[in-house]
Amino acid sequence: MSNSVNISVETTCENQIREIAYDGTELYQAPPTLSESLAKCAARIDFSKTSLDDLKKEEKSAAAATEDDKDANQFQESLWPWDAVRNKLKDAYTEICVLSDVISIAKDKRYLVLDPLLEDGDDTKPIVQVYSRKKAISQAAQVLLSGAERLRNAHSEQRSRNVSDFHIELLRLRQNWRLKKVSNGAIIGDLSYRTAGSKFGMSGTFEVTKAEEALDDDGAGNSANASSGASNSSTNNGMQLKASSALRVIVPAELQGVAYIKVITQKDQEDLCTAQVNLMGHGPNITAQVGVWQKTLEFAQNVLFCKELFAQLAREAIQLQAPIPHVVIGNQIRATLLPNIQLIISLCHSTSFDSSQPAPINDHDHVLEHSLHQLLREVHFKNSHHPFPHPASAPLGPSKKRMIAGPTAADREALLDMTKTQTILEQIIAQAQHIFMRKRTQYVLDTLARDVKDPQIVSHWNAMNSPTMSCVKINIVTHGYDAIGRTSLVIHVKERSLKCICRDGRVMRLSYEPQELRDLILCQINSHQISCLVSLARYMAWTVLSNSNHLGIGKVEPLGNASSCLLGSPNSDRMIAVQIRCDPQIDVKVYIARSPRPDFFPSPLVPEKFWENLGGNFKEVRFDKIEGKSFLNKMEFLMASLTSNTA
Amino acid sequence: MGVTVLQPYPLPEGKSGAHIMDHLGKRLLSLGASHAGQFLVDCETFISTPQHGTPARAVHVLHNSEYPASTFSIIDNGTGKQVAIVADNIFDLLMLKMTSIFTSKKQTKIESRGARFEYGDFVIKLGSVTMMEHFKGILIEIEYRPCVTLSYCWEMIREMLQGFLGISVAKEYPTYFTTQTIMNAMGQQQLHAKQNDIYEPMDTVKQYLEHFTNYRKHVQLHGSLASSAASISSVMLPSTVGMGRP
Amino acid sequence: MREKKDKEATDSLSLALKNRFLPNLEYLLQGSILDTAVEHLMHRLKGLCDNVDTSPETFHDLEVCMSLRQPNSPQPLLLLRVRRALGRDAPFQLRYLGQPEVDMRRPTLVRSCMDCACTNGILDFLSEMGFRLEFEYIAKGYMFRKGRMKITVSKLIKIVPGKQQDMANEPISQSYIVELSVVAPTGQENVGEEMRVFAEQLKPLVQLEKIDYKRLTNIP
Repeated sequence: MSNSVNISVETTCENQIREIAYDGTELYQAPPTLSESLAKCAARIDFSKTSLDDLKKEEKSAAAATEDDKDANQFQESLWPWDAVRNKLKDAYTEICVLSDVISIAKDKRYLVLDPLLEDGDDTKPIVQVYSRKKAISQAAQVLLSGAERLRNAHSEQRSRNVSDFHIELLRLRQNWRLKKVSNGAIIGDLSYRTAGSKFGMSGTFEVTKAEEALDDDGAGNSANASSGASNSSTNNGMQLKASSALRVIVPAELQGVAYIKVITQKDQEDLCTAQVNLMGHGPNITAQVGVWQKTLEFAQNVLFCKELFAQLAREAIQLQAPIPHVVIGNQIRATLLPNIQLIISLCHSTSFDSSQPAPINDHDHVLEHSLHQLLREVHFKNSHHPFPHPASAPLGPSKKRMIAGPTAADREALLDMTKTQTILEQIIAQAQHIFMRKRTQYVLDTLARDVKDPQIVSHWNAMNSPTMSCVKINIVTHGYDAIGRTSLVIHVKERSLKCICRDGRVMRLSYEPQELRDLILCQINSHQISCLVSLARYMAWTVLSNSNHLGIGKVEPLGNASSCLLGSPNSDRMIAVQIRCDPQIDVKVYIARSPRPDFFPSPLVPEKFWENLGGNFKEVRFDKIEGKSFLNKMEFLMASLTSNTA
Repeated sequence: MGVTVLQPYPLPEGKSGAHIMDHLGKRLLSLGASHAGQFLVDCETFISTPQHGTPARAVHVLHNSEYPASTFSIIDNGTGKQVAIVADNIFDLLMLKMTSIFTSKKQTKIESRGARFEYGDFVIKLGSVTMMEHFKGILIEIEYRPCVTLSYCWEMIREMLQGFLGISVAKEYPTYFTTQTIMNAMGQQQLHAKQNDIYEPMDTVKQYLEHFTNYRKHVQLHGSLASSAASISSVMLPSTVGMGRP
Repeated sequence: MREKKDKEATDSLSLALKNRFLPNLEYLLQGSILDTAVEHLMHRLKGLCDNVDTSPETFHDLEVCMSLRQPNSPQPLLLLRVRRALGRDAPFQLRYLGQPEVDMRRPTLVRSCMDCACTNGILDFLSEMGFRLEFEYIAKGYMFRKGRMKITVSKLIKIVPGKQQDMANEPISQSYIVELSVVAPTGQENVGEEMRVFAEQLKPLVQLEKIDYKRLTNIP
């Protein structure tokens, strides 16, 4: 009150406008009558303030008058103008009565004693009040200013995006990873594949903390070792820490670094095929949007996945009863695919990135890489995705096949099949074997096609194949004589064997030895040549006297043997004998005979010419000297020349 | 799964069942067949307590070791209608819940068991039929696996049977395939030749039931075991209904 | 292996019963939820149950309850339920449910239960055996699983006799029935507790309770 400013207040001399008519005339409220103004003034009396000393101060009552203006409005609303005054007077009267009663009791001094009050001096000097006020106001100002500063900072940060914010980072982290807040306020995340169906025991928890202001502080913090390890590994991963993140993830020591699984197929210590499984790939391809932690976590997750995969493979390698036992040494598994050919799967885990680390091998087999990856994912999927029973009342658990086995009367074989499952190792070995068999088959077919020029060997590989089975169709044709004959066969390349289906329906099963396939193709060439020759001879009006696909001379092969045929000229005076052998390579022998000889001299033993019709001596033709591009071409010339001679 | 034909083998006079089985087994082995385990087909029949107005119903519950996860059941309502189902093994336990209405006739529990042979595409089972531990006869089961329709492979099966059994087998299809009655859409029964239908495991079980029923009836008719192998013709009778009726 | 398999089927079955591999006890909790709130329940179940990254499994089944009665007794001797999946090629399920156990201490209802898949002749088979139709309804809804627990949220639909169309059938009430069940071999006491904990997690939305069937039958 002491600080209040003196204000002089005057009433408006004009009457209050009650209403403004549409034409602009103002209707004034009639000035209050004397009794009305008296009532109004009486209502203004502040009975609470009517102590003698206060009344002395005029300015105070003037200030009260302004307040009373409002009161007056309220009083006007009351029912009766003197009501408030009466109430106040009544209250005052009651107080006086009580006071007189108290005084009369106090006079008696039996029930009540009056003691003088201790003088409670109001020693608050105006200057102290000024100071306290000033201080309070300056504190409030500081709060407001610091708030404004933070808002401004946040605003500018958002605009420039140079400095990352912990909570925004946390939000991003939360969108991609499983996080939970534990009791002591720390944030724990889980990067394991357990929710995706993995049953691997290793824990994949990581801790999320707020980064220190400067990176140098790392060494001093309580979580110093772990966090610096994490940041080191992230630096090593090719991250630029300049784009520093306000959030830091602390990955357990065993998940730090980079891991990958190397798959090598080896033949006599010589690498045949190498696959490097590195699920995330390690290179400087960093997406700018996500923080450093994203890469750190991805690498850690990759390490976990590789460890699980390797642990699974190692367990299976020990359990499997292979004819040649699988060997598990350290971080390496060796399995024999085919004689002398080994599959080596090793887990490479490096926590520090040295430059001595060999660069990823360029000869990267994406198929094997993909397969290993996929196989474990498949196991995970099967662990977590069980079929639902239909109808819904049927029991949970059994597979779809097992559920229908009863009513569809599944037989013993089908039920036994349901219990069999292939392990990851078995599957990867089968796939590696198949890859190897396929390459071997390709090699044999390609070298044969290169070496054997005469009938052309054309192989068509099916583009669609399964990881353990592919299919090739082989056509054997002679250039220029395609219409006469074509020998085709299909080979199914499996894991350790080949299945050949010939055009005549014969099915032959070959082992993994490449020589068997080679022999088979050579025999097919043989029979192709002979069968084409037979048709060619028919076109040229020669008669086929005999023909055999299996002469049974030379080495006895289970798949085929030397073949031959004997042709007679149109007027039967000449014969051509052809023999084709295929061991070790194709060898063609052609003989001709003429009977009767044009120059016949009777002798005592052969007196008549007709005896000559019994047949004559075969003379070998120097086949390589005959003109012609191919065997059939040469034979055509030979037959043509022999035919014209007789004409 | 293929086509299975069941053939009873007449027991020659003076020879024991075990002897014949042994003899046939040896013959199959010398043909080149290989021994592939044992087999068992058993049949238990539950009879309902007859109520006024309704004839007694018989529920036959059969198991076939070839289909170890399944229980086969055929109900015969006493008026010629048969309904067959294939279910999980647990059906056996459900039948036990009905013992107050359907009682098992233990003395008619019948089974065929013996050796199982594989010979190329054929599976041959030499079964000796026993009821209450009493030998009843020999049932030869022959299955040709690559085919599912009898009419396409009956000749081959017949030749195979004649070949190793040394008896002549009628050229006609077995009676089971020619004399099946089915319900048509109008609810009437009519004859239906099954030899062109796709063969199902249930057909094997029904053939067994047919033969088992005949063996059981034999006991009731003749009351003696000696004559059980006397006539094949009676064995080949089509399935008759209401067996085991008091 | 083969000799083992050749054993008489019933022998192996009784062996299974004796060694307690055969799951023959059903632990059940039931509750219901209004149609308007079922969305929320579905969201919660999606969060709680196994692999619901894809949309939840739906089902549409027809259940027929058949009873076998003695001619002059009002209580049915045996009730069997046959359930078939509509619009799906799956075997019929024949189900026997025993009387619920009286043990009040257990957190869930426990009753013996037998599930048997059969070919589609089963209805005909049962009626030939003398079973008569007791009631039938269509259950349509969603299925979830959490470990060995099965959670079904189903709408029960009345079958209007004489009308074959799907459209003619109308829902029995404006709510879904929620069932949490486990079928387990005897002697696995912790199942009930596991289920109770799961039911707690659905609490404000749906109150899964052990329903006393005896009390229900007293209501006329």
